[in-house]
Amino acid sequence: MSAATATDTPILVPASDTPPPRAGLLRRLFTEPGAAIAAVMAIAFVLAAVFAPWLAGADPYETNLRATLRPPGGEYLLGTDVQGRDMVVRCLYGLRLTLLMGLVAVVIGGSIGILIGFLAAFYRRVDGLLMRLMDMLLSFPAILFGLAIAAIFGPGVLAIVVAMSIATVPLMARIVRGAALVVMKQDYIDAARAVGMSDARLIWRHVAPNCLSPIFVFATLRFGQVILLGSALSFLGLGAQPPTAELGAMASEGRNFLFFAPHISVVPSVLIFLVVLAFNVLGDALRDALDPRLRI
Amino acid sequence: MLQHIVRRLLTAVPVMFGVLLIGFVLLQVVPTDPATVRAGPMATPDVIEAIRRDLGLDRPLWEQFLRYLWRLAQGDLGVSIINNVPVAQELGATIGPTLELMLASLVWSIPLGLLLGTVAAYWRGSLFDRAVMAFAVAGVSIPVFFVGLVLIWYVGFKWQLLPFTGRGGPIWTIEGLRAIALPALTLGGVFVGPIARMTRTAVLDVLSADHVRTARAKGLAERLVVLRHALRNALIPVVTLIGLQIGFLLGGAVVTETIFSWPGVGRLAVGAILSSDFPMAQGTIIVLSLGFIVINLIVDILYAVLDPRVRAS
Repeated sequence: MSAATATDTPILVPASDTPPPRAGLLRRLFTEPGAAIAAVMAIAFVLAAVFAPWLAGADPYETNLRATLRPPGGEYLLGTDVQGRDMVVRCLYGLRLTLLMGLVAVVIGGSIGILIGFLAAFYRRVDGLLMRLMDMLLSFPAILFGLAIAAIFGPGVLAIVVAMSIATVPLMARIVRGAALVVMKQDYIDAARAVGMSDARLIWRHVAPNCLSPIFVFATLRFGQVILLGSALSFLGLGAQPPTAELGAMASEGRNFLFFAPHISVVPSVLIFLVVLAFNVLGDALRDALDPRLRI
Repeated sequence: MLQHIVRRLLTAVPVMFGVLLIGFVLLQVVPTDPATVRAGPMATPDVIEAIRRDLGLDRPLWEQFLRYLWRLAQGDLGVSIINNVPVAQELGATIGPTLELMLASLVWSIPLGLLLGTVAAYWRGSLFDRAVMAFAVAGVSIPVFFVGLVLIWYVGFKWQLLPFTGRGGPIWTIEGLRAIALPALTLGGVFVGPIARMTRTAVLDVLSADHVRTARAKGLAERLVVLRHALRNALIPVVTLIGLQIGFLLGGAVVTETIFSWPGVGRLAVGAILSSDFPMAQGTIIVLSLGFIVINLIVDILYAVLDPRVRAS
């Protein structure tokens, strides 16, 4: 869903002539204990997802009908589901797929957004048209993209990744356009133009590198938000289909057993919450650290 | 003022057109052919061809689009493939409950968010402030379905305090109120945090403004300074930001309706998509989109009423 951004302050756009100093970024980032914890959590989640097959040591689809609906604790740390599948294993693989979907959506949607943002900032003739288009996209809640795309292509992982990507494009385009416009007022851009540098090279060599921090901050915040959106769509049954190990789909499967085995829904839900929380806090902290002027 | 409203209405036209076009495309690209479906499994090719002509499916696309717009204008959204009920009729029955759920969520979450945000801003940096901010970040990070499931598990099942499936009846009856309590708590619950955070930012801005200092200097009671001078001016950005969150609310409503079997448009849409009921899916998506556009229009106009500067620009 078009989740309320964790930030109600605008994503940073360098406002002054000099970009904020990078020195001591890590130190500034971790002055808040919350940010440090969030960073550790985010890294742990990513590592767990990457190494899931080695960490799990079992097949997430392997059923054991003699050990169904076991509560957490004992032989199975997080219990088992209705087919006797180990929840630890399923959560690791679920985390892997959920994070991968978020990553693909942010990379694809973000890249298209970045391209549109630069085009709009660079070529004033297409600026109005592109930005009106972005406003139009932005005016729709992301959940509607999800519903429409699932209706057209049929429910599935692909449909919701497409929806998550589309919902990312206009936001990224706006941020990049704003940042690029500021950079392009600088003298060194005029200088580069004067020596005959081509537009593409100018963007690549001078404009893009100076827009990296807003892009990076936004991508971090957005990662958590698209995961929230994707898991909501999966929960509705529009995304990953059972028995696929995906956190939203797993939470949805557990609904039928809520009253006697709540852990099947609760464990993946808590995991989604922690992942999104970690990236939201980290994104906020990154923004504050990269541009202290926006700190409130 | 009128000029502002007219201009705003005009900008909504292309967006609405886009929605209708997408709705049309949706039915063009789906794998099932409406004529074949209507003809039934035993039909001969001749019959299918006749129905195709009858439905105007042999016409050029642009003509089909115009016919489709014409039918829409008459309130004809087609018939459900699954149970042959007119889509418009089903939608008419579900829009009310969806609006009811949204209003019931906002009616408690907005005042609570305003209160938390204002107090947090006033005692900036205090433990309370930090708690509100932490709550706000948690609020935008928690899946709506998780809140719903926890409430169902504890309040509905374990403590047996409130019902958790369906709509109990009209909102003014005790049963109706009891039935809407948990869905409204779920949907509003994830909304309090963002509102508190926006309010806090806006009130902080206003608290350092000149007119607040003047109000204090003339010896106005602190309560009046905050209520009359700070919060009132802070409301303007907060109203816009709440308007921007309507999409978030709608997304949450779709999930909340599904969890609590609330008979709303969102649940209807999800059910239609899952059962490949394309006309129903198309109708629900069009109505949800148009409803969203209209709500945004209302928020925009409200904003202009509150803030004279918007009208001038």
